[in-house]
Formats: sequence, structure tokens, C-alpha cells
Amino acid sequence: MSSGKKWELAVSEAELSSMTRDLDEAHRETIPTMFAQAEDFSEELADRRGESGIVARRRFLMGAGAAGLGLALVACGAGSNSGSSAATTTKAAPSSAGSPYTGDLKVVALATALENQAIAAYTAALTAATAGKLGAVPAAVGTFAKTAMAQHADHAKAWNAVLTSAGKPAITGVPLSGQPAVQQALGSVTNVGDVAKLALQLENQAAQTYLFAEFNVTSAGGIATAASIAPVEAMHAAVLQFVLGQYPVPDNFLATDMAASPSTLTV
Amino acid sequence: MGDEKIDTRLLNELTVQSQDLNSDAVRITHDALGEFTEQEKERSAKRRWSPAAVIAGLVGVGGLVGAGRAAAATDSNDIMALQTAASIENLAVSVYTTAAGLPFIKSGNATVAAFITKTTAQHTAHGQAFNAAITAAGGKTQTGPDPKYAAVVQQALPTIKAPADVVKLAITLEDVAAQTYTKNVGQVSDASLRKLFGSVAPVEAQHRAVLLAVQALLAGNAAQLIAIPTMPAQLPAAAGSVGFPDSFYATTSASPVSEGAVR
Repeated sequence: MSSGKKWELAVSEAELSSMTRDLDEAHRETIPTMFAQAEDFSEELADRRGESGIVARRRFLMGAGAAGLGLALVACGAGSNSGSSAATTTKAAPSSAGSPYTGDLKVVALATALENQAIAAYTAALTAATAGKLGAVPAAVGTFAKTAMAQHADHAKAWNAVLTSAGKPAITGVPLSGQPAVQQALGSVTNVGDVAKLALQLENQAAQTYLFAEFNVTSAGGIATAASIAPVEAMHAAVLQFVLGQYPVPDNFLATDMAASPSTLTV
Repeated sequence: MGDEKIDTRLLNELTVQSQDLNSDAVRITHDALGEFTEQEKERSAKRRWSPAAVIAGLVGVGGLVGAGRAAAATDSNDIMALQTAASIENLAVSVYTTAAGLPFIKSGNATVAAFITKTTAQHTAHGQAFNAAITAAGGKTQTGPDPKYAAVVQQALPTIKAPADVVKLAITLEDVAAQTYTKNVGQVSDASLRKLFGSVAPVEAQHRAVLLAVQALLAGNAAQLIAIPTMPAQLPAAAGSVGFPDSFYATTSASPVSEGAVR
């Protein structure tokens, strides 16, 4: 636990390395399986081009459109006391014409962009914490951010493997229409609570987008991969709820009203 | 576990809030069940008039039986998966209900007791959703527990002496539920069933995340931090990551679809 202005993890490098090693060992059984699944997914997509993919894309776009989504950002600025009720919604930009990502691959590209968005958010938060911009940062929050970020990187890597195997460019940035609003919100945070609220929205959005993908994409590999990631994002959300002083498992069923629409993808 | 750090009024308020939030999720799941019911009606009509059924009628009884088997094969797999899921939920409800009555839970940490109450209600809702889908598909509802894990519970019961023992057993059940439904998403034949399994698996994973954190805090003699709101600054560093050990949710321990099927 750190109480100083300049935040440092309250674990030694050795302890952190040990924790990372333990996590790596825990992942060893699941990650190869997931990458094999992603490879199957790529082959499956390569085998079927055309109508089924178009139908899948159409269904996803129609469904997400009905959900009317955008990222609702809590007012995170200093002095704000509006809490979660004061939200602004980013407008979905039209999907760029001539996108290399079509059908299920558009959903994969969206998933990768969302993962990169989470990585960027945690990176910015950790940077701000290290610079002392967030005040005292609890050690558990620092560990959470680093571990969640590493897992999002694993997810992004798996999705990018699918894209590149299909001959499509990897998604390395955050090509989402809502990203400027996220960056703006991150730039104005002044404490850990604000960061946690923002992270909670990103995690909920990711989990719900994966659920939406599970019943809207057509490829078995894509369905299985999304199904294996959604629970992990939901677990991140549960821990964040706990840290924020909220009940960690508020819903009986995961919803999809916060799922991201592929139309927010800007590539 | 004796320290009561929770503001129970706050927990009640949070529970009410979560119920409001949850109404959307319940609606979505009801939508999925509604879609599934409609699709089942359409499938049933198609089955009666399908070319296979007509051909079977032309070639005789033997052909008809064969066509019936073929038509039922996919549906029966879905129904078995739903029955197994309901059996896991039934067992979870039973275990949490039993746990709630244990003296060291009743007089122990109020947040743990509140978690058990809320989680029991959530598993009940899941069981009802799975059984509603079974009914929609024309199958027999599952009211009993998963036989494999009922045996595991029976074996564990005599060893349960403290909250940590309850937490350990609950982690096992939540994990098998989450793994099973995660796998079921890729196994069932219908998009609305994928939606149903996919909307429940993350909730079981969240239960597990909470329980893993509680387990770590109990092991670290920090039971006073099991509270809502907690004291984030006092949480040990590992509490931030112990709840989600894997990047991808495993399915290696998922129950086979037939495990809790109604015989």
C-alpha cells in the first residue's frame, strides 16, 4: 500500500516477478488452447467467404444498432459530484467505407480495438498514478490494473492472430469513434475512484460485446473464443465494483445494452 | 469472521439498485427464452411437414422412426445441456441454502452472509431460466442436483468446519458452472440458447472471482476487509488480481452435456 503522492507498487520486484510467474503458469493451460481455437477460427473463415459472413455481419449490425450503444462516460473530472448519473454518450461514427474487415472479421476487429482501448486506458492510469496525479493509490488497485492489462493484451494478441491469419492487417491502435471521449475522460481524472469508474464501463462494455458476438457471429471458433473471454472481462468488472464499494455481482444475467456496435469501428 | 464491518442499510440499498439494473438483464434473458420458444414452435411445425417426414411416411414406419431420431438428435443435445445446467444450479442453491444455515455463517461476517443470500437468488433465477427453456423445447424439467458434484458435496460436507471450507466448496461449484456454460455456448444448436448460456457463464465467473478474493482475505487473516464498502487502501496487493487468474476462461473441467440429463 502506498500513501505517498508518488505511487509505487507496494511489492518488491521479486514479489511482482513471482506473481507474474504464477499467473503465467496459470495461463499456460488456457492460452495454447485459445490460440489453437483462434487458428481454427481463421481456417474456418478462410473456408467460407460470402453469404454466411454477410448475414452474420448484417445480424450483428442490426442487433447492436437496436441496442443503441456508445460508451457512456461518467463525469470523471475534478470537482464533479454528478457520479454515474451524469453521463454523456459518444455518437457512433459511420463505418469507414472499403474496410478490410467484413463479416465475422469485422467483429474480430472490433474486439481487438476494444482490447487495445482497455490496454491504453490502464496504461494511462498507471502512468498517471506513477506521476502522482491520482493521489494515494491502493496497492491492490495497482495490481489489478497491471494484471487486467496483461490479460487484455493476451486477448488482443489472440484476436490479432485471427486477423493476420486471414490476411488482414492487425489492429494496433484504438480505431473507435468513442476513443477521443475516453482519452478526454482519462485526462481529467484526479483520483483512483474516477479511474475505476471508467475502467468499469470499459470492462462491462467488453463483456457485453462478447456476449452479443456469441449469438451473432456464425463461426464456431469465433463463438468459442468470445465465450471464453466474456467471463474474464466480467470478473474484472466484479473486482472493480468491489473496489468502488458496490455489490460485485449486481446482475443475475449479463446484459447487452452496453455492447459496442461495429459501426463505431473507424477502420 | 466475527467482525461486522458492513453497513447493512447500504447493502440493502445496493441490492435494490442492483435489482433495478438487473431488470434489463432479466428482460434480455426473457427475450432469449421468448425467441427460443418461438423458434421451437416453428421447428415443431417444420418437423411435422418436413420433406424427411413426408419421405418417411412414404417408405413406411421404419423410415419414420429414423427421421424422428434424426430430427430429435440436435434438440435432445440442447435439452440435455439445459438439464445439466439446471442440475448444477439446483445443487448450488442447495449448497448455499445449507451454508446459510450454518452457525458460523449466520453469526459470522455479514457480507459473506449477504453474498450467500444474493447468490442463492441468482442461482435460483438461472435454474428457472434453464428449466423454462427446457419446457419451451418440450423436454422434462430438471429438479434434481448434478449427480457428479452432488457426490463431491456429500464427501465435503463432513469436513466443513469454518467459512473457508464453505468458500472452497462454493468455488468448485461456481467454476464448474462457469466452465460448463462457457463450453455450452459453442455446443448448443441455437443462437437464443447461446445467448442464454452466454449470459449466465459470466455471472458464475463473477461469483468465483468474489469467492477467490474472499478466500485470500480469509487466508490472510484479513476478514475485516470482506465488507461493502471495503477499505481499498488496506487490501493486500494480491487481492487486486487473485480473483481472475486466467486470461481465458477454461473449459477443461466442463461437465458433459449428458451429466445432469433427466433419465
